[in-house]
Parts: sequence; C-alpha cells; structure tokens
Amino acid sequence: MNMMTKVESDKELAQSTRAKPRGLTRPAPVRKSPARYRLENLALQVLLIGGFLLLWEYASDRWVPKLMVSKPSEIGAMMQRWLMDGTYMTNLWVTIQATFFGFTFGAGAGMIVGFLTGSWRRLGDILQPIVTAFYTLPRLALAPLFLLWFGLGIEFRIVFAATIVFFLVYYNTYFGVREVSRELISAVRIMGASRLQVMTRVIIPSALVWVAAGLKISVPYALVGVVVAEMLASDQGMGFLLSRSASQFSASGSFAAIAGLLVVALIVDWIITKITDRALRWKTVAEQN
Amino acid sequence: MLLELRDIYFRYHGEAPILEGFDLEVQDGEFVALLGPSGCGKSTLLNLAAGLLDPLSGEVDFEGKELKGLNRNAGYMTQGDTLLPWMTVTNNIALPLELRNFPKAERQQKIERALRLVNLWDARDKFPSELSGGMKRRALLARSIIYDPPMLLMDEPFGALDAQMRETMHQELLDTVGRTGEGVLFVTHDIAESILLADRIIVLGGKPLKVMEEIHIKWGKDRDLDQIRKDPEYTALETRLRDLLRAAHS
Ligand SMILES: Nc1ncnc2c1ncn2[C@@H]1O[C@H](COP(=O)(O)OP(=O)(O)OP(=O)(O)O)[C@@H](O)[C@H]1O
Ligand SMILES: [Mg+2]
Repeated sequence: MNMMTKVESDKELAQSTRAKPRGLTRPAPVRKSPARYRLENLALQVLLIGGFLLLWEYASDRWVPKLMVSKPSEIGAMMQRWLMDGTYMTNLWVTIQATFFGFTFGAGAGMIVGFLTGSWRRLGDILQPIVTAFYTLPRLALAPLFLLWFGLGIEFRIVFAATIVFFLVYYNTYFGVREVSRELISAVRIMGASRLQVMTRVIIPSALVWVAAGLKISVPYALVGVVVAEMLASDQGMGFLLSRSASQFSASGSFAAIAGLLVVALIVDWIITKITDRALRWKTVAEQN
Repeated sequence: MLLELRDIYFRYHGEAPILEGFDLEVQDGEFVALLGPSGCGKSTLLNLAAGLLDPLSGEVDFEGKELKGLNRNAGYMTQGDTLLPWMTVTNNIALPLELRNFPKAERQQKIERALRLVNLWDARDKFPSELSGGMKRRALLARSIIYDPPMLLMDEPFGALDAQMRETMHQELLDTVGRTGEGVLFVTHDIAESILLADRIIVLGGKPLKVMEEIHIKWGKDRDLDQIRKDPEYTALETRLRDLLRAAHS
C-alpha cells in the first residue's frame, strides 16, 4: 500500500514536472506570412479611410455646415477638374521643384557644416552655440527679409525651405559624427588607416545612420516650408492654390489642394525611404535580429 | 628587443595609479602570456603597448624606438568588439590589407585563407550583427593576424570559443607565429592556455600592478600540444600557477 502510494506519487511528480514546462512555455507563435500581414493591414487602412470618408459625406450639411468642411464627393469632383485642366500639374510641378531645390541646398549645407563642426572639435565648440541661436529664431520672422532679398520668385521659396532643412540635417550630422565610437577609430588607425581613411571607413558610414534619419524627417519639412512660402507670397504652387481657395471660401478647393500635397508627400517619402534603406542595409539587418 | 615598457607610471583620470615603476619586455619572436585577476590592469598594459594610452611617465619602446602615438606595427585583438558593423565579415577581415595597400592578387588569397582558418567561410557575407559572440571573436582574430604584423597584442582572444575551436585556434596561432616569427603579448584567464602557448608566463597582481611571478616555459617553438598535456610538468605548472593566482587575488 505504502509502496503503491509512493509509486503513484512518483508518477504524479514525474508527470507534474514534465507537464510544468509545457504549461510554462507559450505555444510557439504562429507567424503569418509577411505578405498576408501587410495585405490585412492595407485592407484595414482602406476600411478606416473609406469609413471616415463616408461619415464625412453623410455628416456634411447634416451636422456640419458644408461651407466649412465641403464633402468628399465635391472634393473629388474638384480634384478631377484640376487634374483635367492642368491646375494640378502646373502648381504641383512648381511646388515639387522648389521643394527639391530647397531640400537639396539645405541638406547639402547641413551635411557639410555638420560634418566639419562634428569632426573638427574646436570649430564645433565655437560654431555650435551660434547655430543653436539661429535655430531658436522663428523662421517665419525671416520671411520678410528673404522677400526683400529674393523677391517673389521661386528663389524665396527655395531659400525659405532650405533654412528649415539645414538645421534638421545639420544637427543630425553634427551629433552623428560626434557619436562615432572612439574605439572603432583607434582600431582602424592601428590597422594602418590614414586620417582620410578613418573618415571614409568609419566616421562617414557611422554618421550615415543619423544623417539618413535627418534627411528623412526633413523632407516633409521642406515641403511645408515651400507651401508656407507660397501661401505667404506667390502666385503659383500648391500653397498658392490653398490660400486662394480659402480666400474664396472654397472648402472643396482647399481640401483638393491638401489632397494633392498629401500624394506628393507620400511619394517623396517613399523615394527617400528606398534610398536610405539601401545605404543602411547593415542596419536593417541588425534590427531584424 | 621588440617591446619594452620602462618605469611606467599610469593612472586613469582621478583614479589611484594602476601602474607605478612598472617594467615589461617582449623579445623578438617571444610569446608572453599575462595572467592576473580581473580589473588588475592587463588591458591597460596592452593599450599602452598599442599606443592607445600614453604613460604619464616612463617610456614605451617598440623595436628600439620610443613609441609616439599609435603602434601601427602591432595587430591588436581587443577585448571588446571592434568589428565595423557596416562591413561584412569578409570586408572587415580584408580591411587591414586594404589600408596597407597589399597587392590585390595577394589579398584574395590571404582573405580566403584567413576565413577558412577561423572557420567563417560560410559566414563571410554576413554583417557582424548576424554573428554569435564566438564568431565575432574569430573574425576579430582573423583581422588582427591577417597582415602578419611584427607583433600581436591579444586580449583574451579565445575566451568565447568552444573547447574544440579553442584547440584548433591554439595550434593555428602557434603555427602562424612560428612561421612569421611574430612576438605575442597575450592576455588570458585560462591557466592551461598560457602553459600551452607561452614561452614566458607573467603573473600579475596588486595595486599598483606588480609582477608577482615570472615563469619560463621550456617547450620551445615546435611543441606538440597533446604531448604537453600528458607531461607531468604541465600538471605541476598548472598547480603552481593556480596557487599564484589565488595569492594575486588577495
Ligand atoms: N577608461 C577607463 N577609465 C577609468 N578607469 C578605467 C578605464 N579603463 C579601465 N579602468 C580601470 O582600470 C583598472 C584596470 O582595468 P583593465 O581593463 O586594464 O583590467 P583588466 O586586467 O584587463 O581586467 P579584465 O581581466 O576584467 O579584462 C580597473 O580597475 C578599471 O576599473
Ligand atoms: Mg581586460
């Protein structure tokens, strides 16, 4: 009898100890295929946006005055008209051009200055506070001066956007260069690297992570800068379209202009993501692990 | 004389001195192992020999000349991971050859040999983030020996390897060093490893750091590691070193 209970309890013990880990370990997560996952997300996004548009259509003129919010069907009609009569093409093209040049000049200058001040310590210590002082200055306050200097042409919009982009890229580059591991630099120098080689093999690739992040966030800012400048003083571009529609109390026009901008922003962001992802393949690999 | 540290005084900023009147030398072609408690200053010694740190007083001489700045004639396998994360294993290992302008034809052959030597051929296109700890150590090892520098500074190079890999590496390191005549300054926590590899073992301890004991090993350059393990003297040495380290710890 005693024997029995012992055997039984042993068995129980064995079972419970064996069962325990099984109970503790969670079932291995069944991974959906990434394609499937993305497709589902896309469907949900479409559903969400579609639902919102439907609600908007329904609410307009019932709960909210149409004058203020327009309605998707009318905005759609407006967009179609602009698409056909070339309003979109001409104005988008103007805005994209200014954004491109503003971004390029601002980012180029930001990278160069950030790189110099980051790698030349003395220069950095001298210039950094000055740059910060300018950074805290509201950029809009400079607009009248820029107008005075550059007139109403595209130059004004380019410079205005460039000043915004400059700081974003500058800070990222500056800190990116300063963040570079001293240990890595030493290791490479012992292997025989010259100063130039330290730059190209260690400092630049290492700072690139930061620079890329700075470039990426500054693209939408470049667009915003151009649009604001166009709203302030211009007779072309999406910002102009936006402010003209608003001044004519055309909510449909305003929304149609915004929709156009949205499409541009998405496309530009997609392009810049593709480019930076390629440059940072090693980083993407690291994040997947 | 390959490397000579003379009357070194060193401390980290605001800390008590780690080295005071410290002397150490490595002869041409000599394999010197450093044993000592964790935190006693072994890596600091290697950093001084590499020129990464400057002594506050005293002198580091390399090949008879006072070392100024970095020691570019030493392959340094650091204790920490200094692989470049944005380069593949191959490119990391090839870096010293590239920086030193080795002829292209020679490079390819050396790279392949090194990759096979440390058993990373199949991982050659991976980035460091995709490697295990031991694989990273092996890549670092390959990188520090690939260009046959006159001296190797190695900080616990084999700590993260499995026993089998370690045995292979021991043999390979001895073969390489025997072939090239490089001097080695080798930090390890593994007593057996120091006996198997070194011509001279230095037991360190204390603060400031002192040489507690110096043991010359008589096995010579073309030693047979399996034979040594069976040698009664090997066991005696192991016991002696264990006691010395125990003393160094207190
Ligand atoms: N950069 C540093 N700044 C200040 N103190 C340091 C620095 N590096 C090391 N130390 C100190 O110097 C002492 C010696 O460090 P070191 O790295 O040389 O030890 P070690 O013998 O290599 O140890 P381990 O076997 O653990 O690697 C330690 O007490 C450590 O705290
Ligand atoms: Mg150490």
